[in-house]
Amino acid sequence: MPLLSPQDEQVLTKHLSAMEKRVEVVLFSQAIGGGESGVVAKQVLDEVARLNDKITIVEKNFILDLDDRAKYGVDKSPAIVILSDGHYTRMRMFGAPTGYEFVGLVEAILIAGTGRVDLEEKTLEMLATVDKPTHIQVFSTPT
Amino acid sequence: MAFTSEHITSSAIEATEFMDLSRRFRVTGVPKTVVNDTIEIMGALPEDMFVRAALQMQPEEHDGEEDRAL
Repeated sequence: MPLLSPQDEQVLTKHLSAMEKRVEVVLFSQAIGGGESGVVAKQVLDEVARLNDKITIVEKNFILDLDDRAKYGVDKSPAIVILSDGHYTRMRMFGAPTGYEFVGLVEAILIAGTGRVDLEEKTLEMLATVDKPTHIQVFSTPT
Repeated sequence: MAFTSEHITSSAIEATEFMDLSRRFRVTGVPKTVVNDTIEIMGALPEDMFVRAALQMQPEEHDGEEDRAL
């Protein structure tokens, strides 16, 4: 059964039409010991990718694809890494992207696909001063 | 923020799926933000406050009035 309703698809298709760049969504999951969330993540991503041909899903095996895990700092699964025109955006998600996380997924795809962020000028100035590795983890729940 | 700065990496984490991590960072409510494993921000803040808290920057002065008063 699809997770997205026809109405959801219609709204999303409209939003995603602003995309100009190719977006690769890299999904790390595991068949053994991975639970159901990897399967849900794959279904969500497939349904979103169907709505715009600039979105491609790339599947990686969390157990076997160690080089890719190291490249993107993936230490748990399922994990989603967003690439924009082949470049790593440093935007990652861990867990199935449902509920509020789904909104985050769509926003990340839109940022990667348009190259634009919706941030205030003052924020951009502050971000330009960052010169040390900074890891921001945001915890949320589906509901 | 991660897309804008090459020094920033972001991780959106489904808290109930990674309970060990949630326990480690004492996630008792969401959203909760943890920066470099040390700075903790509870709840959703206005953009300016969030960025200043996350990057450990001082709150903005009021048009430098304090400076002029000196």
